[in-house]
Amino acid sequence: MTSRIRSHWLDVAAAVAVIVGFVFAVASPRIATQGDAARMLFVHVPSIWLAYLSFTVTFIASVAYLFTRKLHWDLIAGSSGEIGVAFTSVAVIGGMIWGKATWNVYWTWDARLTLTAIMLFVYIGYLALRRAIPDPEARARRSAVLGIVGLVQLIPVHFSVTWWRTLHQTNTFRPRDIQMDGPILAALLVSVGAFTVVYVALLRHRYELARLEVEALEGAVAVSGPVAGDAVTAPTIGSGG
Amino acid sequence: MPDRFWHQTAAIARRDLDRERRSGEVAWITIPFGAIALLLVPLAVGINQDVLSRIGTGMLFVVVMLFGVLTAVRRTNMETPAQRDAIALLGVDPVAEFAGKAMASAVLLLVFEVLMGVVALTLYGLDISEWGWMTLVLPLTAIGLAELGTISGAIATSINAGPALVPLLVTPLAIPLLLGATQTVELGRDGGNLSWLLLMAAVVLSLAIVGVLTARPLQETR
Repeated sequence: MTSRIRSHWLDVAAAVAVIVGFVFAVASPRIATQGDAARMLFVHVPSIWLAYLSFTVTFIASVAYLFTRKLHWDLIAGSSGEIGVAFTSVAVIGGMIWGKATWNVYWTWDARLTLTAIMLFVYIGYLALRRAIPDPEARARRSAVLGIVGLVQLIPVHFSVTWWRTLHQTNTFRPRDIQMDGPILAALLVSVGAFTVVYVALLRHRYELARLEVEALEGAVAVSGPVAGDAVTAPTIGSGG
Repeated sequence: MPDRFWHQTAAIARRDLDRERRSGEVAWITIPFGAIALLLVPLAVGINQDVLSRIGTGMLFVVVMLFGVLTAVRRTNMETPAQRDAIALLGVDPVAEFAGKAMASAVLLLVFEVLMGVVALTLYGLDISEWGWMTLVLPLTAIGLAELGTISGAIATSINAGPALVPLLVTPLAIPLLLGATQTVELGRDGGNLSWLLLMAAVVLSLAIVGVLTARPLQETR
């Protein structure tokens, strides 16, 4: 009951955070060079932040599973991976729409764009692997390894704008070199905060769903009735005579 | 490292290479298939020799990546559940098993790369004098792909969708190797640049660490 109340408040907090983020995004000043298209910033940057956060949580939970062999870590890793794929897709699609408005093309062979798309495919593979294995223990062990390997992709994605001369702007958050007006920065930080609260709420719900799926599977196995072949027993060797 | 570890590693590698020698899966299926892919490229992009010599090295590595996956996860690299149980019950060190399998795959991949290189040189009129860096790039690509293939093969073992799943798992993760290989050879024409080679070496080392750390849980996978 307490858990349900806590979950309820988390949902309310996520809804309020989204509304506040939306108000800040709409109220932020218009950028002269890009017009209203620049407001994509308040969706695009938080989405990619959530992708980083989700895949890092997947990595940490995967390591924790391999050390502890407690299934709830695997459920957290899988749940976070799903949210990560969803928000990476939002970041890529949002980026394409923004790209059309600013670069006049939906797609360009820019290092950041390409590597982000590749990262998306790595985690689509992670989710495909999870779907392919019905047994929770086997699924947990195998996907934990991929959850660890997958994080390697995050490093080139993040540093691509520094390592290569790209069309994509350099990283938005550079604490020592903030080139953003105060109101826009404030709106961006509020959006990032709002998306993070949404992530926590989604993770909680997805984790709960995954836990119920495992329980249902275990319950189904426990209460299943007789099946064909139950009556067949192996002959005892060497007992004749 | 104890002698026992190296003995087990060598035994696993020898076993995999023997199985490949007997079945000829790479020699008679993957290598001709890769050569056909290299032959198809000019039919798709045109037979302009300037274009082909410009894109030839890149095409070679694309073919090496895509068909290298098939080499790394070949059927002769896979065991039945009973064989895996036997290996575990015999007390084979999981790390030695990973190292032996990766070693055998690396040898086969290197052979595959060299043969594909010869085909690319012949078909695309590439200048072999610009290929000095290949002596470092080809072994690093082979080792990296072999490690990735071995890890992914163990992850996807005994899954019905395994054969379809492994290329999806390996190919995106092999991108740093593809980038490193093509950029090293490209920049090698202008005197060379070690940074891409270092990226490849870092990827190979990272995969080796992941392979060693996850060998035991993956050996338990049934």
